[in-house]
Amino acid sequence: MVDLGLLSLRLALIGGLYAVLAAIYGAVARRPAYARSARQAAYAVHALVAVAALVLWRALVTRDFSLEYVASYASSTLSLPYRIAALWGGQAGSLLFWALILTTMSTVVHLQNRERNAALMPYVTATLMAIAAFFLGLLVFMTSPFERLPVPAAEGADLNPLLQNYWMLIHPPALYLGYVGCSVPFAFAIAALATGRLGDVWIRTTRRWTLFAWFFLTLGNMLGARWAYEELGWGGYWAWDPVENAAFMPWLSCTAFLHSVMIQEKKNMLKMWNMVLVLLTFCLTIFGTFLTRSGVVSSVHSFTQSGLGPFFVAFLLSVIAVVAGLVVWRRPLLRGENEIDSFLSREAAFLFNNLLLVGIAFATFWGTVFPVISEAVRGIKITVGPPFFNKVNAPLGLALLFMTGVGPVIAWRRASARNLRRSFAVPLGVGFATGAAIFASGWRNYYAVVCFSLAVFVLATIFMEFYRGTRARQALMGEPAPRALANLVGKNRRRYGGYVIHVGVVMVFVGVAASSAFRLEEQETIRKGDVVQVGAFTLTYQDIHFTEDAHYSSMLAEIAVAKNGAPVGTLFPEKRFYKKQQQPTTEVALRSTLAEDLYLVLGSYDDATGLMTMIVFVNPLVNWLWIGGLVMVLGTVIVMSPTAAEQRALAAALAVEERGLEAALR
Amino acid sequence: MDRNRRFIVGASIIVAAVAYLVYTGIRETSVYYLTIDELLSRRAEVAGEGLRVAGRVGAKSVQWNPATLDLTFRLANFEDSDGVAVAYNGVLPDMFAEGRDVIVEGTYARDGSFHARTLLTSCPSKYEAEAGAEVAKE
Repeated sequence: MVDLGLLSLRLALIGGLYAVLAAIYGAVARRPAYARSARQAAYAVHALVAVAALVLWRALVTRDFSLEYVASYASSTLSLPYRIAALWGGQAGSLLFWALILTTMSTVVHLQNRERNAALMPYVTATLMAIAAFFLGLLVFMTSPFERLPVPAAEGADLNPLLQNYWMLIHPPALYLGYVGCSVPFAFAIAALATGRLGDVWIRTTRRWTLFAWFFLTLGNMLGARWAYEELGWGGYWAWDPVENAAFMPWLSCTAFLHSVMIQEKKNMLKMWNMVLVLLTFCLTIFGTFLTRSGVVSSVHSFTQSGLGPFFVAFLLSVIAVVAGLVVWRRPLLRGENEIDSFLSREAAFLFNNLLLVGIAFATFWGTVFPVISEAVRGIKITVGPPFFNKVNAPLGLALLFMTGVGPVIAWRRASARNLRRSFAVPLGVGFATGAAIFASGWRNYYAVVCFSLAVFVLATIFMEFYRGTRARQALMGEPAPRALANLVGKNRRRYGGYVIHVGVVMVFVGVAASSAFRLEEQETIRKGDVVQVGAFTLTYQDIHFTEDAHYSSMLAEIAVAKNGAPVGTLFPEKRFYKKQQQPTTEVALRSTLAEDLYLVLGSYDDATGLMTMIVFVNPLVNWLWIGGLVMVLGTVIVMSPTAAEQRALAAALAVEERGLEAALR
Repeated sequence: MDRNRRFIVGASIIVAAVAYLVYTGIRETSVYYLTIDELLSRRAEVAGEGLRVAGRVGAKSVQWNPATLDLTFRLANFEDSDGVAVAYNGVLPDMFAEGRDVIVEGTYARDGSFHARTLLTSCPSKYEAEAGAEVAKE
């Protein structure tokens, strides 16, 4: 079976390389038979990678400890879901998983475009297969998941206990889908550059793919934050670690692209900028993969020095070289046909939103690679931590939040005084009133005050959009209010789905601001019967319990919780000790409400003295962060769901394009 | 053309703001990041400074008082031939153990002791298990 996996990977690599060459030859020499053959090869590569993944999955599920990978990441007591998840628990497996997702997407893209985009598709095939070949090359020559041990291990080393958490079952696949999803718009961008067909078609064809990638990037980042919150036990969810930044940066540039592309669709502007953003997003996904595998940036996450770093650098540099060459070559075609008329216009608002998003991405990038740069320049490593990222990104983030309210409602071209008054008088009023009220109530955390005021401002602009739209439908169509609202959203999914996403963004901002500005933290070493008071909570340490099974042993402190004097339940913060890896892990106890989270950590317990150290966090409004994430995801689903009008627009653009193609061939 | 110029000014303001924030952010929050070997060879230079130091927990050096949460250990180089004494107060991180790689942040006093404000263990990466397996093999 293992040989089958190895063989599949090798054949897949050969097939991928063949597909690249055949597709390019077919396009350049205008021999469609070769392009067709490349497409068939791409299907075959997908099938072969799938076989390899199934072989590895089988080995993990059947606990075949003769394989080094299985022996390193699974054990006889590891439960089935985690054995399946172990496919992406280690280096080689995660690269195979990456290749599997990429080739699956390639197949979907080819099926979708069997009858369309005949000019673009060969280059799309070539780009996707070139990326696949890179990953397959790593798997075949550098880090094989099918390495056999000289002597089969009797028992596996087990999956890292910190990864044995249900969020870890879905967080990596979500993030990978987001990362890899960025390859599809990238491939179409390359195809558009190569063919010079830089009109609407490639953008309309990939719009849903970009949203798909963004959907999963959002979800992946949120799930990762949630995992950190529950599993790492330091009371927070985001530490600006290089690995987190690696996932955050492509999200930022992808978000920028999704916004600026609307300007291109509507106004035929910013073509160059959009192109740069698509290419940048893809490069950031590769850079992120590189960061997590090369050990070049030291992170709290310890990375195995795997020796893959130079290959990623080489790949990234060649991608940048090809892309830069194409962009420079096609520069004349990337000129926009319109100019921005006024500062007070939607075009300008979107441009500023883009600059802010890219600015945040740049600051994050700079902070992440600063140790490397300072070492190269000054010979000494200088590092920046969370204070740097918070200090830089908080003001930029607040400016972005403000633009969230402005961008969608300000008029195109040039906003009149009437438009500004109509759209912003009320929201600005309630925003300022909120700020004044919070300030008067004695809060002096300026960031939080500004954030909450802006949140109210943005929500007010969005509410007014829904309200006015519904009222207009009621008046025009005579529909009752709920029906009018449903139709309003259903018939303008991009617009109103976008507003839903913005509501989610506001919730995320509120959750982050409140939980970082007003968090309470207390650490106490206590005996049974002792009482700890934190904020409104009274915590009584009642007992400690010990349990054990084959996989881990654990101790649980029994803590009675009262809020404002009234009992609200019992919490059990837990410390586990995983036997295979001889490692303790913290299992946080949470009491989660919309108002705040009570977050208990069992820090340590000493048998001899009976002393238990407990860390208590009270995180206000933190739940709104997670709810906001869900709302963003829901909004994306609304935006993504196809509408007839959009299908017509794509068909029309394609028809124009095909006529051009026929004319060119004639 | 005039319009375009106005825009370039507007965009430049944002770019300048980002640059300014990054510049002051780095000036105010950056710390030297040394390996234990670098610290040992530059002792005099860096004494009294805020530092972030990566090293390994020395064998048989950990003393931990669960009642006061006082921890002392030797932050050693990888051969465990030399190191500095580190004092820390707080709960032990899950992955903390002798022979593990850790990062401490704090001040290196002139008397050669290190007061750690934070103690980070090399951890929650999925690739960590591989390193763990290698250590076990040795």
